[in-house]
Amino acid sequence: MSLKNCYNFKDFRNLAKKKLPSPIFHYIDGGSDDEATLRRNTESFNECDLVPNVLANVGKPDLTTTLFGRKIDMPIFLSPAAMQRLYHVDGDKASARAAEKFGTFYSMSSMSNNSIEEISNISSGPKLFQLYVHKDKSITDDLIDRSRRSGFDAMCLTVDTLVAGNREKDHRTGFTTPPKLTLKSVMSFAMRPGWVFNYLTGKKFELSNVKKKTDKGTNIAKSVIEYINEQYDPLMGWKDAEYCAKKWNGPFALKGVMSVEDAKKAIDIGCTAIMISNHGGRQLDGSRSPFDQVKAISDAVGDKLEIILDGGVRRGTHVLKALASGAKACSFGKMFLFSLAAGGQQGVEHLLKNMHDEIYRNMVLMGCKSLKELNSSKLIYRK
Amino acid sequence: MNLKDCHNFSDFRKLAKKKLPSPIFHYIDGAADDEITYARNTSAFDDVDLVPNVLRGVEEVDLSTTIFGKKLDLPFYLSPTALQRLFHYDGERAVGKAAKKFNTMFGVSALATVSVEEISSMVDTPKMFQFYFHKDRGLNDSCLERAKAAKFDVMALTVDTITGGNRERDLRTGFTSPPKLTLASLFSFATKPMWGINYLTKGKFELPHLQDFVKEGTDVNSSIGNYFSTMLDQSMNWKDAENLCSKWGGHFALKGVMSVEDAKRAVDIGCTGIMVSNHGGRQLDGSRAPFDQLAEIVDAVGDKLDVICEGGIHRGTHMLKALSLGAKACSGGRLYLYALAAAGQAGVERALEKYRTELERDMKLMGCTKISDLSRNNLRFRR
Ligand SMILES: Cc1cc2nc3c(=O)[nH]c(=O)nc-3n(C[C@H](O)[C@H](O)[C@H](O)COP(=O)(O)O)c2cc1C
Ligand SMILES: Cc1cc2nc3c(=O)[nH]c(=O)nc-3n(C[C@H](O)[C@H](O)[C@H](O)COP(=O)(O)O)c2cc1C
Repeated sequence: MSLKNCYNFKDFRNLAKKKLPSPIFHYIDGGSDDEATLRRNTESFNECDLVPNVLANVGKPDLTTTLFGRKIDMPIFLSPAAMQRLYHVDGDKASARAAEKFGTFYSMSSMSNNSIEEISNISSGPKLFQLYVHKDKSITDDLIDRSRRSGFDAMCLTVDTLVAGNREKDHRTGFTTPPKLTLKSVMSFAMRPGWVFNYLTGKKFELSNVKKKTDKGTNIAKSVIEYINEQYDPLMGWKDAEYCAKKWNGPFALKGVMSVEDAKKAIDIGCTAIMISNHGGRQLDGSRSPFDQVKAISDAVGDKLEIILDGGVRRGTHVLKALASGAKACSFGKMFLFSLAAGGQQGVEHLLKNMHDEIYRNMVLMGCKSLKELNSSKLIYRK
Repeated sequence: MNLKDCHNFSDFRKLAKKKLPSPIFHYIDGAADDEITYARNTSAFDDVDLVPNVLRGVEEVDLSTTIFGKKLDLPFYLSPTALQRLFHYDGERAVGKAAKKFNTMFGVSALATVSVEEISSMVDTPKMFQFYFHKDRGLNDSCLERAKAAKFDVMALTVDTITGGNRERDLRTGFTSPPKLTLASLFSFATKPMWGINYLTKGKFELPHLQDFVKEGTDVNSSIGNYFSTMLDQSMNWKDAENLCSKWGGHFALKGVMSVEDAKRAVDIGCTGIMVSNHGGRQLDGSRAPFDQLAEIVDAVGDKLDVICEGGIHRGTHMLKALSLGAKACSGGRLYLYALAAAGQAGVERALEKYRTELERDMKLMGCTKISDLSRNNLRFRR
């Protein structure tokens, strides 16, 4: 199996599974508790159906849209994801370059292994910085200042991760960062010599954006769960979010909003967007899926905020359904992380090409010339 | 396993799988993306139950129905499908003769492997010609003139296929037409020697309606998806359909209408029928199932043209449900294609006989003696 045989999510996942040591694969792949929300995120797309219009003279559909004040070439982008150096030796550089090539957003996690400055030097494409509010407020301020100086276009504050979710796969595999070789995991690492070689010979693993402020995640073999619980501020409230939005003073989103009420509050504190998300089913299991909730939120605030659907997206048709329900764009994590693990920058490009072609083909089959034509009349829910 | 062990759809499918080289089997058996629409086409029938009436005196059952001004002995017919000589060396000849024997309609694809002239000299029962709108207007005119001269009764313009669907099974098996022997597929062809011998000895493989106009059909190994995407005219619109309809000057249908709005426009441009269809799930995955959408369309236009429910039908009871909702007739592709692959004309006849007896039995159990006895009173939707 190789990259050129990867046609869909499952293919990329399979290839990533072959390439990655198992604790790392499962860190990407797993959700919290029984993974009911993880599954529902994708399944929820299957309870409604698209209704095409025929003979619509489509020609070449236009997939461009604007998001966070920038024009992008298609209505999808890469969600922020931590520690991409674990998945491929090129880490965030690979994702950022691939996204730029396809004219869409790359997002940088607070827990990136590359620094804000490093990425802005290699990419002039659209860039989103993902913020966590740290207990040490000077870390938060520093991240905002540096993102602005480095020309990031937008910022999102993740609000669904005050404590770490119960990711049982990580308990079982002993996933820590940097990876600690326990007896249980050593076999898996030994069987992926390519990964180990690249990991050891590439740049040192570090959380580049926070390394000066904390030694956590660099020197000690910490589990991600412990890191989150130690570093992030569980007392974060609306005031803190408002502080960040004001300090950033540009396109700003809350990532992880799920209720209509919170979406309304997001407007009040000055957000220009929200990401409807449950963190890819990695936090509160049993919580609602983004697609199940998008219609209610877009009906309430769709004219005041840009709505991004984040989580469960695996197909071009999922994107069409989300847009028909009121989202402006979709983002995804696992799908591109698997493609990153499968083939670095080339892997992510291959995925983005597949997704572009799927969205394009499906727009033609729907009889839609532009994304604006996707509205609720194109979608019917089964009884 | 052989023909006499085939009692239902899945038996024919199993036998076809045994007989066909795997790329060809999967071309028939596969559908777009995750095949969710394909599965829903059939499972939609399970969300509604039949409610029989008893003590009605049901000795004689009349299954006949009239569509496009022609009386058929069965309330279903055989959808047009491409490339039938790949499935069995007799191809359209076998299907046409079987349809004639049962006095039902037979659809001939633009991508048929036997000419309309030959078919019309063999089959004097009702025939439909399925039209693809090519960029090459000379080709379009030639198809129309030939079908007219050959006295075809109905012309169906396929409107759901302006670009190829994403049939990933074909991507993996390397399905092309005519089959190209790649190393990967060679093994499969080699293990089905009878198919290979018949294919090579029973006449050259041709696409008689296209071969004067395109090289794709004959000498080049073109994949079907590629053919649709490059040869068909994506700017096809309502005006084109209207022109075609008046040029044809006889019974004219749009194949692949799914929205109520489009069904109404079909009436306006002079259609006498529509096939509510998503091409057997082979085009836009995530699109609505014909049976799910049928009632709305019948309510809007059922009194103005013949509404046909096409796709997903595996059983007599599926047909009873669609007819009860108001479809004038049903049609299907795979319901005879597996049988064709399994045993040529004898196979198709056996399949038709099975469906006929099933329908007769089910009508009796429902307490109905003619198709017009069926109504929505017979149905209860589960909520
Ligand atoms: C391995 C991994 C690491 C992630 N790291 C972060 C992170 O650092 N910050 C954040 O806000 N979200 C993070 N997420 C969540 C993603 O941004 C996104 O919400 C989620 O992956 C969407 O669901 P999907 O994977 O089904 O597309 C991470 C997700 C994964 C799978
Ligand atoms: C192998 C195969 C080839 C087909 N070729 C054509 C074609 O050339 N033109 C067309 O309009 N529809 C074509 N169809 C679609 C059928 O006409 C019909 O819509 C579909 O098979 C209905 O779904 P069912 O197979 O579940 O009954 C094809 C279907 C199959 C399975």
